[in-house]
Amino acid sequence: MAEEKLPSKTQVPASAESQKARQKKAPEFPILEKQNWLIHLHYIRKDYEACKAVIKEQLQETQGLCEYAIYVQALIFRLEGNIQESLELFQTCAILSPQCADNLKQVARSLFLLGKHKAATEVYNEAAKLNQKDWEICHNLGVCYIYLKQFNKAQDHLHSALQLNRHDLTYIMLGKIHLLEGDLHKAIEIYKKAVEFSPENTELLTTLGLLYLQLGVYQKAFEHLGNALTYDPTNYKAILAAGSMMQTHGDFDVALTKYRVVACAVPESPPLWNNIGMCFFGKKKYVAAISCLKRANYLAPFDWKILYNLGLVHLTMQQYASAFHFLSAAINFQPKLGELYMLLAVALTNLEDIENAKRAYAEAVRLDKYKMVEMAQKLGAALQVGEALVWTKPVKDPKSKHRTTSAGKPATLGSNQALGQAMSSAAAFRKLPSGAAGAQLQKPPSLPLEPEPTVEASPAEASGKMREK
Amino acid sequence: MAAASSSDSDSGRAESEASSKWLDAHYDPMANIHTFSSCLALADLHGDGEYKLVVGDLGPGGQQPRLKVLKGPTMLTESPLPALPASAATFLMEQHEPRTPALALASGPCVYVYKNLRPYFKFSLPQLPPNPLEQDLWNQAKEDQIDPLTLKEMLEGIREKAEVPLSVQSLRFLQLELSEMEAFVNQHKSRAIKRQTVITTMTTLKKNLADEDAVSCLVLGTENKELLVLDPEAFTILAKMSLPSVPVFLEVSGQFDVEFRLTAACRNGNIYILRRDSKHPKYCIELSAQPVGLVRVHKILVVGSNQDSLHGFTHKGKKLWTVQMPAAILTMNLLEQRSRGLQAVMAALANGEVHIYRDKTLLNVIHTPDAVTSLCFGRYGREDNTLIMTTRGGGLIIKILKRTAVFVEGTGEVGPPLAQATKLSVPRKTRLYVDQTLREREAGIAMHRTFQTDLYLLRLRASRAYVQALESSLSPMSTTTREPLKLHAVVQGLGPTFKLTLHLQNTSTARPVLGLQVCFLYNEALYALPRAFFKAERPQGATQKELEVLLKDRGLQDLLLPNCSC
Repeated sequence: MAEEKLPSKTQVPASAESQKARQKKAPEFPILEKQNWLIHLHYIRKDYEACKAVIKEQLQETQGLCEYAIYVQALIFRLEGNIQESLELFQTCAILSPQCADNLKQVARSLFLLGKHKAATEVYNEAAKLNQKDWEICHNLGVCYIYLKQFNKAQDHLHSALQLNRHDLTYIMLGKIHLLEGDLHKAIEIYKKAVEFSPENTELLTTLGLLYLQLGVYQKAFEHLGNALTYDPTNYKAILAAGSMMQTHGDFDVALTKYRVVACAVPESPPLWNNIGMCFFGKKKYVAAISCLKRANYLAPFDWKILYNLGLVHLTMQQYASAFHFLSAAINFQPKLGELYMLLAVALTNLEDIENAKRAYAEAVRLDKYKMVEMAQKLGAALQVGEALVWTKPVKDPKSKHRTTSAGKPATLGSNQALGQAMSSAAAFRKLPSGAAGAQLQKPPSLPLEPEPTVEASPAEASGKMREK
Repeated sequence: MAAASSSDSDSGRAESEASSKWLDAHYDPMANIHTFSSCLALADLHGDGEYKLVVGDLGPGGQQPRLKVLKGPTMLTESPLPALPASAATFLMEQHEPRTPALALASGPCVYVYKNLRPYFKFSLPQLPPNPLEQDLWNQAKEDQIDPLTLKEMLEGIREKAEVPLSVQSLRFLQLELSEMEAFVNQHKSRAIKRQTVITTMTTLKKNLADEDAVSCLVLGTENKELLVLDPEAFTILAKMSLPSVPVFLEVSGQFDVEFRLTAACRNGNIYILRRDSKHPKYCIELSAQPVGLVRVHKILVVGSNQDSLHGFTHKGKKLWTVQMPAAILTMNLLEQRSRGLQAVMAALANGEVHIYRDKTLLNVIHTPDAVTSLCFGRYGREDNTLIMTTRGGGLIIKILKRTAVFVEGTGEVGPPLAQATKLSVPRKTRLYVDQTLREREAGIAMHRTFQTDLYLLRLRASRAYVQALESSLSPMSTTTREPLKLHAVVQGLGPTFKLTLHLQNTSTARPVLGLQVCFLYNEALYALPRAFFKAERPQGATQKELEVLLKDRGLQDLLLPNCSC
């Protein structure tokens, strides 16, 4: 650089000869891309410090003209969370070579990460003009439109991305759109295709399994969850889902063995300890059940399902005062469930607080007329029997029962929270088999899916029915 | 320090030594070798049956590029290189005896060929054709037919539209300030504009025989998205193929004269597969991540991605399987145990392990004291199955595969996960708990009633305390959401005149409070106030308002202060 400036100072050329000499001195320009390969090798092996050093050197040498160095620097910035800086650098790249769709794609990606979805779509459209057949552009446009809540457009773009090249991610996004729209069947169709395309993707398999579980198609759900477990025997979601299904069938020991794997991998999962607790409950090891449920409650103090189960187990243990506390806490979180009031009423009856028990029953009747009588009779009877319970009684009409475990929260399925709901629901599901089955006989099994987001999965047996009336 | 650490790990390893498939031949944490797998090569360079290790070393921090040749654990020769080596390969150039392989080092735009470790030939990539428009412009500038400003505008126009990119000279020119332009043009106008590219990767391809010691061509990948095949003797370009992106890793199979397949993992995250007669890629694998390694095992392409996974693809680009790794993959290479016909993939991970896979089954895990950044396997010295690894800190590890070692599937982590055997840690319950439970069963009703009574009492007490706080006006707060106010009074002075400062605060951020009036309730016998009642200007949006009132003591000392309320 210094050398370059020298001749400019001694401007006035004297003779042709001296000019020639000066020209010979004129420096060779370094090749701009000289160390791109090194930058790239450092970048892919995640050695960002070394990478930055090379980038710095390269940019100094080329006076900031090396596009790839800037590009990778921007990528690193983005990985480090400096999205605004990365955006600016990518824009520099786009200026350095305006014909390159890749730079525009990265600009759009940074905009997307900054939450500027509208601006991102504009840049993606610009990039699409330069490169027509890029699945990534189509896919990302689709994702942007999802965030802009333009689901139709999003679907169009995702489908065209699939036509260009099939990727698991595109299928997952399409499935998500259908779930957001509450169309479980369409989502299943998409996930089926996705599983066909990449049969070993455990995430796809697990999601499909969970969707079938929501629909109550147990055979298929188990099949897919099982497949997921074959490929990845430590898959947390799949184990919990499969375990809860085993629990519904009374295979508590098998379920417990499976849960051990999860307990190792995710020891602080509330649904896990809830399910383990209910396994012990099924095996009539009530003290262990209470310990596990209390741990679950400690981990997720605001989960009313765990409180519900705790209340139930304490009722069984004839610890009515404790049961009362857990149930009233559960009611505080979930005031619209008839079953909770029923259990509370039972607890109050046993605590000889007749007046409040009556009020609880009244509330239960208000929320859920049909099931109330049946359930309360059975529960009351059962609870007075004490230890000789009928919890593990086989289900009378398994087929109809399968159809009842419907609903769920389609919007967030796949996320841990939703999973938790699905899981603890499935576990809690078996806690009142007699009641549920009894109620089922009254009602024909024509329970449609209700994508009402507030409806929780398992006690949705009850709440689902309320809505029908 | 180094000796201590190595002896430490040795003693720890001693027990596992017997069951391990590997013999620890050499470990030098201070070997000062910083390189990539592509810059490692094993070859019988002198034709004496003793295989040497060739390392294209980048030096610490990529500052001192060197060519190092190792024999056993010792350095044989070491010579400086003009630029950083991108790749090293050994290949046979001709049929003549003695059949000693030549060594090729790709660096910048050149391939340096060594024979018998002496420089033999330097191949430079041909210049790229410059943009004809650009060339025209500079020619005009040379004859002074065009002034620098116009030149700049025209070049700018070319840069934005043209397919062929500008030369460095023009790009540099475009960056200049107006004042510097003329000098730059004068200085550079008579120079022919040049466009040069660099080599990013290199491998070898057999010329016409499949034998192990057959003559091979060099295959180069360049920064301008091309693949070149060089003639082994004349170093002319035999074939040129173009790619949609810059190649990073190359993998070849077949023979050049018969049929071959070139696989190139590129910077855009795609892998392109080319065949003999195709100038352009025949198949494309979109990885949607960056490939960190490419190895061909028989007919399967194994690709490591920077999302910590290993993928298997057919030679037509169909996905076969995916294996998730416990940590990021740093580098990959092929393990070939000829005596048992085994081909497997070695992947060095960031957590200091080297995993060996056959297809998707894990055969073996090697634990290393530092993360391995480059590795290769083959004949070294006189030992057939040697594994050579260099670490992040510049260490060198040499391990020898035991002759009795057989890789059996299932010795890795397969079957039900280990965690399934561990017992659940169910929290134990104490004797006290059981006693409490029994007591609750017996006296549940009484407990419940006591609790309810206590609860009522607690609530009552809380209400009382609240009312008291309100009555005594100790920094009272409004309870209704319609009037989000906080009042706070401070008395200053020693008397007989005091200053009473009222702090009135609107606690809501959104709701304004209008028409406030302040009224003082006090014992008129004791105090005198200029105004006992006045309008307060409204405090808005959580701002504080200070009101100052003068208070006169009528002479009697009284601890009671006036009550103010709004």
